[in-house]
Amino acid sequence: MTGLAAGTVLSGLGVGLNAVVAEVFRVAPMQALPAWTKSTRSFDDERDALRGAIGSVGAHLDSLGAKVGSTSAEIFEALKYLLEDEELFEVAEGNLNDGWSAAAAYGMAVNEFAELLGGDPDFDERVKDLQDLSKRVQAEIAGIKVGLELPSEGSFVIVGEDFSPADTAQFTPAVVGVITISGGPTSHTAIICRSRSIAAVVSCAAAVDLVDGDVVLVDPVGDRVVVGGEISSATQAIKFIDTGREPIIPVRSNIGSLDDAKKAAAANANGVGLFRTELLYLSATSQPDVASQSASYAEVLAAAPAGPIVVRTIDAGSDKPVPFLNMPHEENPSLGVRGFRLIREHRSFIEDQLHSIEFARAHTNREVWVMAPMIATAGEAREFAGLARSIGKFKVGIMVETPSIVTQIADLKGQIDFLSVGTNDLSQYLFAADRMNPALGLLLNPWQPALIRTLARIASEAEAAGISSGVCGESASDPAFAVVLAGLGFKSVSASASQVGAVRAALSAVSEADAKRIATGVLAFSTAEEAKAFVLQELALLN
Amino acid sequence: MALFTHEVTVLDPIGLHARPAGQIVKLVKESELDVQIGRPGEEFAKANSALRLMALKIKTGETLTLTIDADSETAAGEIASQIQEFLKG
Repeated sequence: MTGLAAGTVLSGLGVGLNAVVAEVFRVAPMQALPAWTKSTRSFDDERDALRGAIGSVGAHLDSLGAKVGSTSAEIFEALKYLLEDEELFEVAEGNLNDGWSAAAAYGMAVNEFAELLGGDPDFDERVKDLQDLSKRVQAEIAGIKVGLELPSEGSFVIVGEDFSPADTAQFTPAVVGVITISGGPTSHTAIICRSRSIAAVVSCAAAVDLVDGDVVLVDPVGDRVVVGGEISSATQAIKFIDTGREPIIPVRSNIGSLDDAKKAAAANANGVGLFRTELLYLSATSQPDVASQSASYAEVLAAAPAGPIVVRTIDAGSDKPVPFLNMPHEENPSLGVRGFRLIREHRSFIEDQLHSIEFARAHTNREVWVMAPMIATAGEAREFAGLARSIGKFKVGIMVETPSIVTQIADLKGQIDFLSVGTNDLSQYLFAADRMNPALGLLLNPWQPALIRTLARIASEAEAAGISSGVCGESASDPAFAVVLAGLGFKSVSASASQVGAVRAALSAVSEADAKRIATGVLAFSTAEEAKAFVLQELALLN
Repeated sequence: MALFTHEVTVLDPIGLHARPAGQIVKLVKESELDVQIGRPGEEFAKANSALRLMALKIKTGETLTLTIDADSETAAGEIASQIQEFLKG
């Protein structure tokens, strides 16, 4: 029945913690739409056919909106706007006038707008929505069934390319597991499965070979699907028991607002490892003066958990623009003028920010460290260090996000006090993989050996240069990964407030020697799956 | 009816995207006025189609001109200030 032998492992990215074993249900690709043709009927007949089809698709969107409830209903309302757009219909009417049939006329009109909106990443998702609607209208006219026909009884793991909001709204209780071939960890499918606790593995390219009737283990913690796997062989999420000991390295918290600072304090974080300052500016239409900036910072510093507070200077770019800085549109914003690079055009803004932070520091008497994002050369690091020291009594450091600065850590000896690794951006630049592109999730997995080996290099070179090193990227919020970071020699980690407790528990359950042994061991593996599996297994043995 | 001209600035961090475009079209349709939007010196788009507005690919920080065919300056000003509200993000 199947081409895949029992025991075959298919790698992907796990969503959630629950594993499941069930039969595969392949979602059949839709029947092909008929080719576009000229019409043999009158203009009015074709226009009525098009109106009718748009009406039915609209009614279908309404019913889906009603099914999912108020929070996601907005999605369907927005889709309906696109579907019923006035000019879209006018362009389609023009095509009808040229003698095309209704399906062709609508399809061509959508293509015309897709072309106009194309090439702009802000509209990529809308263009996909628009093409999906076009497909539905054309299918309606041709009398072809679109959408899922899922079993409503039994237990199935559904396997498909990826699932749209309209698809996931139709998931029945019989859907106990989901595997997607191309959707990434931030895809709509992943979000829905996480919120409904459905076992899911996304970005699982090898799942294309699964057929109806295969029984599979969906093992999200292990980031894999196992053909014929038993539920007992599912990878267990490691649960660390809080020993009450202090963690082997301090666990700080990432914050971006006053509210976050309070949550971090409640979570018993050891200071703040990353205070993102963008929120203070993104909604302001003119540059706030030093007095009002100082007041905002003082409020946050006063509420932050005991320990040092690492403040990052503005990390804006043309994809995260600050309205009053007037940032021109860039072709590749993640490779553009962002972070510390803004100093060329906006020096006085960065100076004002540092003055405000210094004022708040003096006012609250807290220990404040400042760091600059997006540093690519030792020269930039020195420039920032000089500027920050001339303005306030700070420890001074940099974010390590670019592969270039990784090679220059030794050059910074005696020049900076600390560095903090942003693993999300470091992965993006190391693997040349856009963080926002859901299809590239596997490359951005923190367990990738190239990332772990780069982290090992950063920690050891920082140690040799007498620079304190920490990690504030998302990877530090994963308790198992935090153990690896401590073992590699990082002096602190910083996690989101909701994960501080779990990371503290992990780092208090292991000894320094355990962490070192695990970190040394993980460096030997050549794939992300093996690296993660090794660490989870070692941690399970310790417990 | 007379033609009134107003300027608005796009403050929304994603520019003139689907949501504000939809809000503008809804407002203009309800007002039953003829409203056109565009960059100064370029071709304007009729504000009855969200897709047409999105296709202008207007980004944060841009200043746009509105031409509004209305009975009174007050009516035109009201529409313009509501459109500005939608573009605040």
